[in-house]
Amino acid sequence: MMFSVSHKTAFVVDHCPYMAESSRQQVECDVLTKSRGQGMIPLAPVSKSLWTCAVECSMEYCRILYDVYPLKKLINYIVSDSEFHILNSWRQEDQSTHELMSALAAVGPPNPQEDPECCSVLHGLVAAVESLCKITEYQHEARTTLMDTADRVANRGRIICLTNAKSDTHVRMLEDCVQETILEQNKMAAGSDRLMSIQQCELVLVHIFPQGEDTLVSDRPKKEVSSLLTSEVHSVRAGRHLATKLNILVQQHFDLASTTITNIPMKEEQHANTSANYDVELLHHRDAHLEFFKSGDLHMAGSTSRDSGLKETVTLKWCTPRTNSVELHYCTGAYRISPTDVNSRPSSCLTNFLLNGRSVLLEQPRKSGSKVISHMLSSHGGEIFLHVLNSTRSTLEDPPSISEGCGGRVTDYRITDFGEFMRENRLTPVPESPDTEASGKPPAERAKAQLERYTRYWPMIISQTTIFNMQAVVPLANLIVKESLSEEDLLTCQKTVYNLVDMERKNDPLPISTVGSRGKGPKRDEQYRIMWNELETLVKTHVAGSERHQRVLDCIIACRSKPPEEEERKKRGRKREDKEDKAEKNINKDSEDKSWQESERLKGTLERGKEEQGESEIIKDSPDSPEPLNKKPRLEEIQLPEKAKGPVSLLTMWTNRITVANSRKHQEFAGRISSVNNKAELYQHLKDENGMDLHENGKATR
Amino acid sequence: MPTVVLMDASLSMTRPVSQEQCTEELQRKHLAVAGLTMLFEHMANNYKLEFTSLVAFSSLWELLVPFTRDYSTLQEALSNLEDYDKTCLESALHGISNVVQQEWGHACPTQVVLVTDGSLGIGKGSLRHSLQTLKGRPEDKKFPLPFPFPAKLFIMCIANADELQMTDTMHNLEQLLQLNGGDGQIFTMEGQLCLKSVQSMFGRLIDAAYSPFPAVLRCGNLASDVQVFPRPEPVFLDEEIDPMPRHILTDLEIVGFIEIGDISSPPVMSRHLVLPIAVNKEVDDVGPGTTEEPEEETSANQQAGKVPNFCVLLHGSLKVEGMVALVQLGPEWYGMLYSQADSKKKSNLMMSLFEPGPEPLPWLGKVSQLGPISDAAENPYGEDDSKSPFPLQPKIKRSYAQNVTVWIKASGLQTDVQKILRNARKLPEKTQTFYKELNRLRKAALAFGFWELLKGVAELLERECTLLPDTAHPDAAFQLSHAAKQLKLASTGDSQYAAFDQNINPMHTDFSGGGAGM
Repeated sequence: MMFSVSHKTAFVVDHCPYMAESSRQQVECDVLTKSRGQGMIPLAPVSKSLWTCAVECSMEYCRILYDVYPLKKLINYIVSDSEFHILNSWRQEDQSTHELMSALAAVGPPNPQEDPECCSVLHGLVAAVESLCKITEYQHEARTTLMDTADRVANRGRIICLTNAKSDTHVRMLEDCVQETILEQNKMAAGSDRLMSIQQCELVLVHIFPQGEDTLVSDRPKKEVSSLLTSEVHSVRAGRHLATKLNILVQQHFDLASTTITNIPMKEEQHANTSANYDVELLHHRDAHLEFFKSGDLHMAGSTSRDSGLKETVTLKWCTPRTNSVELHYCTGAYRISPTDVNSRPSSCLTNFLLNGRSVLLEQPRKSGSKVISHMLSSHGGEIFLHVLNSTRSTLEDPPSISEGCGGRVTDYRITDFGEFMRENRLTPVPESPDTEASGKPPAERAKAQLERYTRYWPMIISQTTIFNMQAVVPLANLIVKESLSEEDLLTCQKTVYNLVDMERKNDPLPISTVGSRGKGPKRDEQYRIMWNELETLVKTHVAGSERHQRVLDCIIACRSKPPEEEERKKRGRKREDKEDKAEKNINKDSEDKSWQESERLKGTLERGKEEQGESEIIKDSPDSPEPLNKKPRLEEIQLPEKAKGPVSLLTMWTNRITVANSRKHQEFAGRISSVNNKAELYQHLKDENGMDLHENGKATR
Repeated sequence: MPTVVLMDASLSMTRPVSQEQCTEELQRKHLAVAGLTMLFEHMANNYKLEFTSLVAFSSLWELLVPFTRDYSTLQEALSNLEDYDKTCLESALHGISNVVQQEWGHACPTQVVLVTDGSLGIGKGSLRHSLQTLKGRPEDKKFPLPFPFPAKLFIMCIANADELQMTDTMHNLEQLLQLNGGDGQIFTMEGQLCLKSVQSMFGRLIDAAYSPFPAVLRCGNLASDVQVFPRPEPVFLDEEIDPMPRHILTDLEIVGFIEIGDISSPPVMSRHLVLPIAVNKEVDDVGPGTTEEPEEETSANQQAGKVPNFCVLLHGSLKVEGMVALVQLGPEWYGMLYSQADSKKKSNLMMSLFEPGPEPLPWLGKVSQLGPISDAAENPYGEDDSKSPFPLQPKIKRSYAQNVTVWIKASGLQTDVQKILRNARKLPEKTQTFYKELNRLRKAALAFGFWELLKGVAELLERECTLLPDTAHPDAAFQLSHAAKQLKLASTGDSQYAAFDQNINPMHTDFSGGGAGM
């Protein structure tokens, strides 16, 4: 429930003259050491006024609250004497102890000379009710987003009144006054857009009286004054008792629980080489103990009662060795903490240790048996959290390994490249500003758009790509995915292309995958054709991005010169002339030319995108290309899932499947083809038979 | 999500079912066994990571098969089931409550499948009696529902609805469901009691609770069909403002990547395995493990194993780089994908769901405000990966990170006063610290309206001044009396001297060194 009673807390602190009275709890602040103490009269002890006690305990309440709930739990601090003084507002930026302390300093202690007749805590209580009617930014936001169901947004609140009441009758008068004011204010709120009527209000009256006096007001548990108002009365001695009371109240009001970390090793100030063990008590949301509550294990987990059973704490043991930050624990909850005794030495040692970025595992002390690590303390950006770790058996134990599933047998994934890709696509917080909204997409959507651009052409395995295995292509590949290219980027891309042209001229080897194929793979010029085609495919997916992207493509097309087949044939001729040993080739020259013409015709009918496929066929027809058939099944396999995406007839699916299954069985066949040394006739013959076999085999397996 | 099958083994389950076509006598128990057999077969094929246990009950209860993924054991136990005496549901529910808690603790959501003929006993120990005596029980004899763990209760009645409504059975079962927080469903058989109708009833259960959750995992244009196990449950946020259940999308889109150290063991609502599946297999497209046609299956599996899959690539790189992928599960709902290794060195792709909301982790800030690093003017990770933009720092420091002043315990106040005096004795070397501590005390005393303390400390400083040894630096005396004077002025509450944001500054003296010119 987002808008429960604890969304809004109004503190009303009595500032009337009687609060200036001493609490009669004395503090010796002149602690004389033995060596200096001789002959000196120590300073008289100081004592706090009722006001000072009330203020410092309420500040402690706020400190704990703000530590555990930095957002959405709001405090409105009101001081009351002859009139009310509102020290802050419900606004989130007003919610800090520093703000409140500054405002309190401006108010100062009560003036004992003021006329007690004019002063009353009532002014403050009326102001508190009025304040509870005021809408907070969170309520406003919820109402605006809900629109027609805005009435679901509740308005509840709590008033904590620290005062020195005269009697039980006086207390009743205060309750009645709050009740009346609520009714009045609700009437007003009904006719206003900026006010909300109060649906539920909890009044917590804390009567503070000096030490050594008897109380004039009796304690009373929570009772219903009306359907709108409940009230409870706590009668407490100033000083230590008041502090304990407010500590208990803050826990009750905000569902907190206490954990004591025990066995914290800490260096002694005096003896640096020894270390004693200390305990530190922390407060946090009680859900961090959910497992203990449910199992009724509270006592087993080492809980102890203190302050005559008013307060319970669960003891957890500091656990060495420590954990490292790159470990991902299975954590079911993380709750902000606040140390109960914030500036004691053990507390500050523990918090500083954690704030320096270290984490501590915590163990449930058990009388016997194995040790159970149930919690972890860790800080994130200057905030300390108590993490709840799962300590029971996991239902996901013994899962199948990923290597046993789909794609698990493939061994040449581009793991390193994808790692690089992930680093480039890491996220960073972008400050909220009107500018980003003007530019349209929120940052997370821009991150997704970047992922889309980066993956337009991204082969998953090494043997599927040439260009991504080439260092020389890296500059272009890194730049082309950008949303926009600068003139400099364009130049770099063009240089990359020229560099590739240069490599081709020098006949540098390319890292064409030879996986699965026998011999040395496709010929060099064939390799370059594959490479250029792949590069074109990559760049083409980005040409719509900008005019400069288009110019990169233009550059590639111009440099590889068109039609590629003709160019290659020329080159082939040139190279051949250069070669010493050309006798064998000359014999085949006629047939080779024929096959090239054929392949060109064939190619014309193919779409650009299917170039790769066409290629494998060309290679097959080419007389002196090495055994390419192994490559064919692989290509088909890869395309299968994509084909399946579109509307595919059952027949096609079936045939594809059978083709794949059978093509594997035909590997040996293909081996024999190459050994025959390219008899064109025989090749055709075999090919036809292959087609027939497909169907026959298909039936056979069924 | 583990399953407990709670099977009624009372004598009433052996009542014969009137059947026209068949001469062989068919009991309700046989129908129940047939239904469960169908459920177990389905799970073995399509939901085989589910842990299931079998408990039989009558007036006593017995754990026949502890939690297992071995469905043949369950099946075997089912076929060896014997007949016992009367139905006593309450003790059986107590029994499974203990069984589940011992195995999985209190946080693990569990599904309870109760199979019964709907005659829920008579007299003491009957469900009717249990429900009538709900109130006023002592703490140790509470009714076992609601379970201490989140549980869905599926009641499979080997009876049709009319039959159950003739008595108060239906009403009692509905009450049982309500006691469980309404989470679950009552299934009854439609039409005549026969094998067909029992199968149709268990078919409905399978659809409701045991159908795999298929999804597509996307990273830009790279994608993979996956099965998410266990099925992600719908989540309710603030029921007052937003009472609609939230379901995760079947299109899981990666937003970007974050280092494990930066995401830093975040709290999660649930964890799920993300298993790649081959959708174009001819065998049922329901994930790994269909064994209907073993030969076919093996070849199809082998084939799927050899097709490159994005999940495997992603998993490999996440593992090597020590990173997680942030994934969007719905509007303002996110999760993370990472490599999870178990003790046997097997690892798999796991998805954890964060609590729905725009800012599930304070140290990351709003997820919608996380953008690509290319948007930042300067790489926030540094050119050599030496920095990180995470964690985000809160606007206001927590009390333990900002040296607050608390004097609730006398020792707190004494320590602060002693700190000032210690530094006072080391003037002028400690001028800076002396004034820092002095001002801290002054601020707190002013806020708490504790002017008496200011006067007291002023007196202490004056006394220190008189106690200075002859060898003391002359500056020390000046600073001490200056500080004492300023404190006294502040203690009058005169706004000129008692402003909260004002500090006492060291006195300018002519002596070289020390605090001059501060």
